[in-house]
Amino acid sequence: MRSELVHPAVAVAGVSKVFNRGSANQVDALVDVDLVVAPGEFVSLIGPSGCGKSTLLRLIAHLIEPSSGNVLVNGKSASQARLDQEYGMAFQQAGLFDWRSVAKNVELPLELKGWDKKRRAARAREMLELVKLGDFVDHRPWQLSGGMQQRVAIARALAAHPPLLLMDEPFGALDEMTREHMQAELLRICDETRTSVVFVTHSIPEAVYLSDRVVVMSPRPGRITDVVDVDLGRDRDDDTREDDAFYRKIIEVREALRNGGHDTTVDHETVDPDAVGHPLLGVDDR
Amino acid sequence: MTTATLAVGGSARRVLDAVWPPALFGVAFLVIWEGAVKVFDLKPYFLPPPSSIWAEFTGNLTLIRDAAWVSGANAFVGLLVGTVLGVAVSFLLMRFRLLNDMVTPLAIALNAVPIIVLVAVFNNMFSSTSEIPRRLMVTLVVYFIVLVNVAKGLRQVSPIHLELLRSYAATPVEVIRKARIPNAVPYLFTALKIAAPAAVITAFVAEYFGGPQNGLGSRIVSNIAASRNAVAWAYVVGACLLGLTFYLVSIAMENITTSRHHTSRGDDSRGSGPGGGTT
Ligand SMILES: Nc1ncnc2c1ncn2[C@@H]1O[C@H](COP(=O)(O)OP(=O)(O)O)[C@@H](O)[C@H]1O
Ligand SMILES: [Mg+2]
Repeated sequence: MRSELVHPAVAVAGVSKVFNRGSANQVDALVDVDLVVAPGEFVSLIGPSGCGKSTLLRLIAHLIEPSSGNVLVNGKSASQARLDQEYGMAFQQAGLFDWRSVAKNVELPLELKGWDKKRRAARAREMLELVKLGDFVDHRPWQLSGGMQQRVAIARALAAHPPLLLMDEPFGALDEMTREHMQAELLRICDETRTSVVFVTHSIPEAVYLSDRVVVMSPRPGRITDVVDVDLGRDRDDDTREDDAFYRKIIEVREALRNGGHDTTVDHETVDPDAVGHPLLGVDDR
Repeated sequence: MTTATLAVGGSARRVLDAVWPPALFGVAFLVIWEGAVKVFDLKPYFLPPPSSIWAEFTGNLTLIRDAAWVSGANAFVGLLVGTVLGVAVSFLLMRFRLLNDMVTPLAIALNAVPIIVLVAVFNNMFSSTSEIPRRLMVTLVVYFIVLVNVAKGLRQVSPIHLELLRSYAATPVEVIRKARIPNAVPYLFTALKIAAPAAVITAFVAEYFGGPQNGLGSRIVSNIAASRNAVAWAYVVGACLLGLTFYLVSIAMENITTSRHHTSRGDDSRGSGPGGGTT
């Protein structure tokens, strides 16, 4: 039995993170956060700027250490999981290495795993075909459009076939059409590769479209205030975006965001739709 | 194949377009110079005409070539040693942050100061027939230019690259090999483009401070002292050609590597590409 079937992809328990503790600019970036991501599950983190989304992702990636609490990735400590490359990571900026070809960029994590040249090249080609860039193997990153660069970054993140993908606003810099296309591609790829995902975003429709669960966060201090289950099934396409069920989920996430941090219970019958705002606008678009 | 041919044709065309305006200007300048000397009857000790400078240049070609060889060797040796030292020390600075904080501001300041006057002190340290003081001087000038730039290239790596490498569990040595060194390569060539002409200038000027009388700089001085103005100017022409050679070679080296590494991209996501020499 494969280990990722036994362990949760991510288990965050009682985690807090304080930056600059004791100094005048102390920041309680995260307070007492619990989060479990099941294998194969797609979880989005949403919330206003500064609520600690990136911090939570970086804790899971073991790029920073928690001030207290415990992070497990695929049943291992976060530090061991990083050393074993149990996850792949992608950011808003593609962060490709300009002096390497597209294929060599995808090969980089494999080089550091000590794979031989032939195996690396084969895997890089396989991954680039997965993101539909098989014809651009020998191109330089700066010869590609923003959306293509981001696809290379995703191919790179998945190159070692990690069971977990960590993404911090990866489509934030793309135009709306490219963005929707990339979302559909990401769902297809994650389904094909059975990868679990923790995905940070500012956009409510993006979170709803992609996720099995949307984790709603709130700042000062950063914490999880709500979790919205998105039971729209796994087969999502462009029609999903026009579904009534899709709109209802958007409104639900939006309300959760509005109420984040306040202990007001919302009576759904009496909510004025105009007060809720347009369901398709993101948190930061107000 | 056709695109390659087109590209070559295109770049040849661009070179031609870039060359003819200054070439035309240069020819016009020489014609006016020649005419002014004739019209105003300027004395040769004041300003010799280009025609007699050219005559002296072709007439003394072997002498000028030998002198250029001496100055060129000084510049080249200093350039080589200074570059090697500059690169080596910038690696040390990368390794020891405190050292970097102490040395880099000093190196930047020294780039803005005419340290060439030190050659008088160096001359005093070695025998009067030695080329070492001049080479030492060139080394020093080149060293600081290379140090400042390469240290910057090794340090200013994209934070995203560093985080990615950490997520791949890269060792510190791997971070240096996969990110810092490739990032510093264009900075090194920027430094060489500044350092190559500076090396030649330093080699000439250092000769004005004494030492053996065999280089272009010394010959210019001694011919002026002997009132052989046109000959002095012929050596100036030699000096210009030598400086140009060093500069063109440094540009060619940069072009060869950039066409392999970083080609002209529209936007630099890191915000700051290889910077100027002394900032
Ligand atoms: N390295 C750091 N040092 C100090 N404060 C930080 C650091 N990283 C993040 N913070 C602070 O922690 C809070 C949460 O940041 P972040 O996780 O980046 O938020 P988000 O990604 O949700 O916008 C912010 O107030 C931010 O200023
Ligand atoms: Mg963030």
